[in-house]
Amino acid sequence: MSESRVAEFGFFTKDRTACFRLTAPHTAMGAYSWWKEPSWMVDSKRRRMTPNWPWLLSALTLLQVNAVQAHSLKRGSAQDLKCTTKNMQVWDCTWTAPVGVSPGTVKEVCIKDRLNSCHRLESTNIKIAALSPGDHEVAINYLNGFQSKFTLNENDVSLIPDTPESLDLSADFSTSTLHLRWNDRGSAFPYPCNATWEIKVLQNPSMELVKLVSFNTTLSGRDIVHHWNWTSDLPLQCATHSVGIRWYIDYNRFSGYKVWSDWSPLKNVSWTPNSETNVFPQDKVILAGSDITFCCVSQTKVLSGQIGKTFCPLIHLYGENVAIHIRNISVSENSGTNVVFTTEDNVYGTVVFAGYPPDIPQKLNCETHDFKEIICSWNPGRPTGLVGPRNTDYTLSESISGKSVPFKRFETLTNESYRLAFQMLPGQEIHNFTLTGRNPLGHAESAVFINITERVAPHVPVSLRVKDISSTVVTLSWHLPGNFAKINLLCQVEICKASSEREVRNATIKGAEESSYLVAVDKLNPYTLYTFRVRCSTETFWKWSKWSNEKRHLTTEAIPSRGPDTWREWSSDGKNLIIYWKPLPINEANGKILSYNVSCSSNEETQSLSEILDPQHRAEIQLEKSDYIISVVAKNSAGSSPPSKIASMEIPNDDIIVEQAVGMGKRIFLSWHPDPNMTCDYVIKWCNSSRSEPCLMDWIKVPSNSTKTVIESDQFQPGVRYNFYLYGCTNQGYQLLRSIIGYIEELAPIVAPNFTVEDTSADSILVKWEDIPVEELRGFLRGYLFYFQKGERDTPKTRTFETGHSDIKLKNITDISQKTLRIADLQGKTSYHLVLRAYTHGGLGPEKSMFVVTKENSVGLIIAILIPVAVAVIVGVVTSILCYRKREWIKETFYPDIPNPENCKALQFQKSICEGSSALKTLEMNPCTPNNVEVLESRSIVPKIEDTEIISPVAERPGESSEADPENHVVVSYCPPIIEEEIANPAADEVGGTSQVVYIDVQSMYQPQAKPEEEQGIDPGVVAAYKPQMRLPINSAVEDFAAAEDEADKTAGYRPQANVNTWNLVSPDSPRSTDSNSEIVSFGSPCSINSRQFLIPPKDEDSPKSNGGGWSFTNFFQNKPND
Amino acid sequence: MSQREGSLDPQADSPVSFLPHLEAKIRQTHNLARLLTKYAEQLLEEYVQQQGDPFGLPGFSPPRLSLAGLSGPSPSHMGLPLSERLRQDAAALDALPGLLDAVRRRQAELNPSSPRLLRNLEDAARQARALGVAVETVLAALGSAARGPGPEPAATTALSTANNAAGIFSAKVLGLHVCGLYGEWVNRTEGDLSQLVPGDVA
Repeated sequence: MSESRVAEFGFFTKDRTACFRLTAPHTAMGAYSWWKEPSWMVDSKRRRMTPNWPWLLSALTLLQVNAVQAHSLKRGSAQDLKCTTKNMQVWDCTWTAPVGVSPGTVKEVCIKDRLNSCHRLESTNIKIAALSPGDHEVAINYLNGFQSKFTLNENDVSLIPDTPESLDLSADFSTSTLHLRWNDRGSAFPYPCNATWEIKVLQNPSMELVKLVSFNTTLSGRDIVHHWNWTSDLPLQCATHSVGIRWYIDYNRFSGYKVWSDWSPLKNVSWTPNSETNVFPQDKVILAGSDITFCCVSQTKVLSGQIGKTFCPLIHLYGENVAIHIRNISVSENSGTNVVFTTEDNVYGTVVFAGYPPDIPQKLNCETHDFKEIICSWNPGRPTGLVGPRNTDYTLSESISGKSVPFKRFETLTNESYRLAFQMLPGQEIHNFTLTGRNPLGHAESAVFINITERVAPHVPVSLRVKDISSTVVTLSWHLPGNFAKINLLCQVEICKASSEREVRNATIKGAEESSYLVAVDKLNPYTLYTFRVRCSTETFWKWSKWSNEKRHLTTEAIPSRGPDTWREWSSDGKNLIIYWKPLPINEANGKILSYNVSCSSNEETQSLSEILDPQHRAEIQLEKSDYIISVVAKNSAGSSPPSKIASMEIPNDDIIVEQAVGMGKRIFLSWHPDPNMTCDYVIKWCNSSRSEPCLMDWIKVPSNSTKTVIESDQFQPGVRYNFYLYGCTNQGYQLLRSIIGYIEELAPIVAPNFTVEDTSADSILVKWEDIPVEELRGFLRGYLFYFQKGERDTPKTRTFETGHSDIKLKNITDISQKTLRIADLQGKTSYHLVLRAYTHGGLGPEKSMFVVTKENSVGLIIAILIPVAVAVIVGVVTSILCYRKREWIKETFYPDIPNPENCKALQFQKSICEGSSALKTLEMNPCTPNNVEVLESRSIVPKIEDTEIISPVAERPGESSEADPENHVVVSYCPPIIEEEIANPAADEVGGTSQVVYIDVQSMYQPQAKPEEEQGIDPGVVAAYKPQMRLPINSAVEDFAAAEDEADKTAGYRPQANVNTWNLVSPDSPRSTDSNSEIVSFGSPCSINSRQFLIPPKDEDSPKSNGGGWSFTNFFQNKPND
Repeated sequence: MSQREGSLDPQADSPVSFLPHLEAKIRQTHNLARLLTKYAEQLLEEYVQQQGDPFGLPGFSPPRLSLAGLSGPSPSHMGLPLSERLRQDAAALDALPGLLDAVRRRQAELNPSSPRLLRNLEDAARQARALGVAVETVLAALGSAARGPGPEPAATTALSTANNAAGIFSAKVLGLHVCGLYGEWVNRTEGDLSQLVPGDVA
């Protein structure tokens, strides 16, 4: 059943009316009912039906429908009966006359179950009063006898309210807002019932739907005018907007169909352009970050649109009107953001102000200073970005009193706290404040609920005055503006003494109205300068007031609380007693000390000195050195102090040991053992040790129970020796307990010890020095440092002692009583550099130096002379004896009468040397007895013979010679003088040259004639004379050769055999040593023939020049070149 | 300085020998006008700076708005006799203070936190008034009476009305126009007075 209805709703919903298409004549509605009624019956009896019943009922229903259709066709049929209602009170039914029946032939319509239910009419439309719920049989009778019957039910009636008529449509162009007003005509409907409204906004000229909104109202039986506002995104000036409205009614007692009414006729809103304004919206304030559309109404073409400096794409509306759309607009500057449209001939613009609504007022605080007005302050929070007329207006409202106070803005205010004064009402303590901030974008508020008696922050106290009561008590008075009659004040008095000590005292005072307040301040010190100031709060503390201005006040004087510290010293001659006293500290003087009275009394007499004016703290009295009691009294304007007494004589103490002490900084620490005999106190006095007696710089008193103290004085200076004396006080007087010398800080001595050399020997020096004066020592002497080293005056390395120098010898003398030092193990006749320095813990003092030469050692000199002489004599004697006894052997050996060639070992010497050498040929012995042998070479370069006496080929080193110059080697053949032999020299052949050996008679000295032609090829420079058995493998200049030849001629004879290469030395003593040719050999020293070693060592030019003043063995044996 | 046309009756077209005190007055007025020319430039700069973009951007030149009773110096101004030119200068300077005051009031709403602009506008109104009075004094001393003080110039009324009715953008443009007019008239006055200053004619 229900599904069937939905299908039918779908049909009439399309037409917005309830449409019925009757297929059964006369009783179409009835047929519907019939079809419907069994279903209801089925529904109600469904539980009792068996499963076979449904198909049976359906079959019966179909049969009945077919029967009715056949009956209707016989009688004629009415079609499309439609019933609607506008107000659920009158139904308006129309139908279509059956086919063949004129609509004007309707005779009457009768409703069966209603009295007088027949209505005469002549049309197919009838308005009837609403029928009660349920089915009603309606019969339509025609003049021609036809009759149509319907079953009419409220369910089939459609409720279509009248089209709503809007009373008014207006527009606020400044805000682009449409205002719609209409009447719901609720008096025509049962009530309460719900009405649903739908409003549409169309934008011309395209009639585009830009807004469709629906909402519900309730009809209350009265005509009510409704309002609807809508703000357009596009300024209303830029396009015509049309508005329509419709509705439908939902009444729960009406079971028929509810259908929307028709749309009301559209109402238009359009703007009449003027010449002044062309860009919209004008001067609008919008939320920063939102979107906005600007349009320009123009008769000419708009070329561009921009916001600020940014150009935007144009949106063409109609005609030449254009718009630009801005998204997420940023906060404007103070004068707003300019939006400009440029046409060909003009510039149009508007200004938009983008900002924020007011932030919630923060830190809203309300308090009173005087119970006359309440000051509320707050922080505005986030800046709105809006100024001038668009800035936030604040209003402070108090809900209990109902008063409000606006906030008057000063544009110079930025983001600091705002303040607003609210006048208090008498008797009102509880306040409920609400602060509201508004600007064109919104509002925000903050509230605070306070009891004003708990929010009191008094004004700063003024007119502070001080009045003396006594030397220790004053009164303070001040004025506090405000009405504090109902509360107690809590005030603080700050007492500041000498700008250092600060004391705060609290005072609770009963409040009063516009009153001055008074408090007494006691426990002050006499004659003391105080600074007072006051601040106040309330007992229910909220805030302190600011401190009042300071008031300085000097309390009055009182008598000094004690006598001054006193000490005394006898003058050096013991005739006068000097009395010292210290000025009283201000807290004990209790006033300005004007003078002192001093009296000395003994059993016999009393001497007084009165009215010693204050700056003087010393008095001298001529007394016999006996026992006196000295009394000192200080006086100020309030009176005299108790006397301070001290005995004139000290109790002797012989057991005094002088001790040492060193301080730190400006202080020195002293301690002592407790002495039960000291009943009064201890006194420590000190003075500069260099001053004469009586010496007193200062003194301090220490309680008798103390065993240590620290003495501090600005007078102390480092490096200055002070004497400290500890006295103990007994009933009989003071007794010296300890004597201490000390330094605040030790420094290095400023002078060096003055030392002298007491004695000097060949190996020792005795040094003696003196003490350094105390003033120059500047500390406790800890020792001396003594340095010495060899050195002479003005020698650079002896001028200063370098640390770590190995030659320096150091002696640390820690026995400060030692005043002499003997330096032993020194060298005789040597200069020594001596240095002496003193040191303290403060460092090393300056040095004092001296040069001392030790004495000469004469015994050593004598020994050094005698021993060599003795040795030389002994050697000479032994040699003479041996030579004498072996004279025959010597003659045979060295000087035979006829030399035996067989014994000529000189001719065999090379055999052993040259064996195995391919380069050298050994001279072979022939059975001849030559008188002279001369070896000639065919070399152009002949070695120069420097000294034939020492030339020996034995000493020649073959390896060196062959490597140095192999061409210089000569093949030597020993043969009789007349034999001429030419021997190929392999070495010479190799180099393309030949060597010729000529054996000649040393006596005839002629050249052989056998080979005269060959002789011509011989270099004239070749020496044709006897040469000893030696070779000088030295290339020399040809010019030198002649000289060598001459020399050889002169010394022709036996020559010692030696290789002069090994004597390759250049002695400056040699006359040839000046030759630049390094090949030239010189022989400057005698040497053994067979030894390569010189007897005299080569002269070392680099050796230091001998010291003429000294003596040594090396000097003694040295062979000086000039000698 | 270029030669300016026009004449001052009864003497014509050339610097004349005035009484010492009149010469001093003319020179003083001329110096004032020259000083205000610089001030007017500074005022215009400050004004443009405070209005936001595109004010001050190159290429932004809104059309001149017409103010009833006051317009910019016309090109034909140079062809008028000197006395007539000075009379026009005096009249414009008489109208300008009201306009500048109106601009200042509007700017006080738009730029309340720009005291320099507001002070410059206030100073400009006062200085324009002083210069106008000085020019009138010179005219009177020369025997050429200026227009007497009349009712509030129509320009001021029109501007006040426009300020209230028109949008803020129009007010900004109007203010720009007034500041420009102020500079132009002060400059023109300085030029006209220079022809009266002995030894200052090119």
